Amino acid sequence: MTDALAAAISDLEEEQANKLVQERLAAGTSPQDILASCRDGMELVGKRYEAGEYFVSELIMAGEMFKQANAALASHFGAGGGATKGKVVVGTVKGDIHDIGKDLVVGMLKAGGFEVIDLGVDVPKEKFVEAAKDSGARVVGLSGLLTISFDSMKETVAALKAAGLPVKIMVGGGPLTEQVREYVGADALGADAQVAVRLANQWM
Amino acid sequence: MDNEALYQQRFARIKKTIALEPVDQIPVVYMGNAFAPRYMGMSMAKFCADPEAALQVTMATMDKLNGFGGLDGCNLAGGGRIAPQLTTIWLSHIAEPGKELPADSLWQVQEAEVMTHDDYDTILKGGWNNFMMGYFPRVADPNDLFPALQWMGANGARIAQLYREHGYVTICDAPVMFTIPFEYLCGGRSMTKFYFDLFRMPDKIEAVMQVMLEEFLAQIAAAPVIPGTIGATWIGGWRAASALVSPKLWDRFVWPYYLKIAEAEIAKGYTPVLHWDQDWSRDLVRLQELPAGKCILNPDGMTDMPKFKKLVGDRMAMMGDIPSSILAAGTPDDVYKFVRDEVELFEGKGLILCPGCDAPINAKPENMEAFVAAAHEYGKVPA
Repeated sequence: MTDALAAAISDLEEEQANKLVQERLAAGTSPQDILASCRDGMELVGKRYEAGEYFVSELIMAGEMFKQANAALASHFGAGGGATKGKVVVGTVKGDIHDIGKDLVVGMLKAGGFEVIDLGVDVPKEKFVEAAKDSGARVVGLSGLLTISFDSMKETVAALKAAGLPVKIMVGGGPLTEQVREYVGADALGADAQVAVRLANQWM
Repeated sequence: MDNEALYQQRFARIKKTIALEPVDQIPVVYMGNAFAPRYMGMSMAKFCADPEAALQVTMATMDKLNGFGGLDGCNLAGGGRIAPQLTTIWLSHIAEPGKELPADSLWQVQEAEVMTHDDYDTILKGGWNNFMMGYFPRVADPNDLFPALQWMGANGARIAQLYREHGYVTICDAPVMFTIPFEYLCGGRSMTKFYFDLFRMPDKIEAVMQVMLEEFLAQIAAAPVIPGTIGATWIGGWRAASALVSPKLWDRFVWPYYLKIAEAEIAKGYTPVLHWDQDWSRDLVRLQELPAGKCILNPDGMTDMPKFKKLVGDRMAMMGDIPSSILAAGTPDDVYKFVRDEVELFEGKGLILCPGCDAPINAKPENMEAFVAAAHEYGKVPA
């Protein structure tokens, strides 16, 4: 890792990362290049997570830093500056209002270069279908922390399939297991935010 | 055998299990707040609003499950209003069915940043308990919260007696109940904001935690020890879990507080029950720092049980650990297999069979009944 901004993000040095973003903007570095450095840093964060060096605490902190960098860059992007790998619809299913896991996945997907349509929490199946249809997203992520989310996920998966949309569906959340994935009929279990990003990359 | 004789037999069985001594039958206990009303056809709104109804429906549930082979007791006694009790642990507003939520839905913690950075200074200056009295109105209506808590205080002895009359042992029956400072602060600040604080102001967080710990230890020292009880006391954990928090943070902000609280409770004569939700497998080895035969681990189906057995199975009892995912989405055959495997793993001692964390609202009735029946079938220990 030679890029100082990528290193600051991957080492969770918040002040240093913010300072470097401002310095590079002032020096005329393109926002796309700055964003690329931030994404490199987030990629390393993901690798450290997969290696067992970082945990959810670090993912959340890194996600916050990436969000701050994006906010600083937002007004500097021109047309086409937000080009992405593709669209992903994400939401916590009907009956469940938990958003921490969902937000973590949204943050990591954005850092991974995806455009995310975040539907929020307690989302009825019709909203997922509508969002997938309207956006043309090829991936849908269903989140839930409570066991009551299992049946909502099952109904949402059924609704997406009934609508005939060409989407791949991943599910994730605290109590979810492969047995539950099979029960709800999703294509894959996103056991954590990094797996969710990997699945989205595979499916795009 | 009458219920008092049953109670005595079960009490002795549970005490021996905690002490890691051989037993005739592996104890099996109930835990499942939201399962009870759903099982017995009571609306969640009534269960949450009526403290006596919550008690009676829990007792009726246990009596019904007892018919599938026998229940030795419960982890925590049901009864009283669940949302106010959770408020005191999560320091968050709890949305209730029949109020903010549909009448037959599950209560839910409303994640929000209620506690502020300024509150850290208030705690450092004036102490934790002083702060808390002013904090509660931010997350609950005092006219709703405090009478509900007073009901628990006024009815605790009656509830314990009722369980005993039905032949059931309450395991967590000590008059103190804590979680570590991390969890209170994380609940009040919200998870993401508190995690930011751990990175941005670690020294201040540590100072606040020390203030809290000192007060907790003083409360433990002042609490009574009631003869003839199990004397177990719940110490919760969920967002401080090893799967969520890196070792550097865990070693500084999590484990030292569990250790101090547990040591103080053991010195007092209590049995700490580490009620650990989420996955704590990475740090199970630290449980070796606790004295043998004095504690219980009570996970939620996500911590590695074989690893627990290997590292501390000869030092600490396990209370669990049927995963909620199996109870909700599995079959009776899945439950039987899980119970059989768990009993084999523990080789007849140091195990109290119990739903992991607690049986969820949508646990299938046939799975809960299979849990009790399987425990009875596989739990007999050859002499």
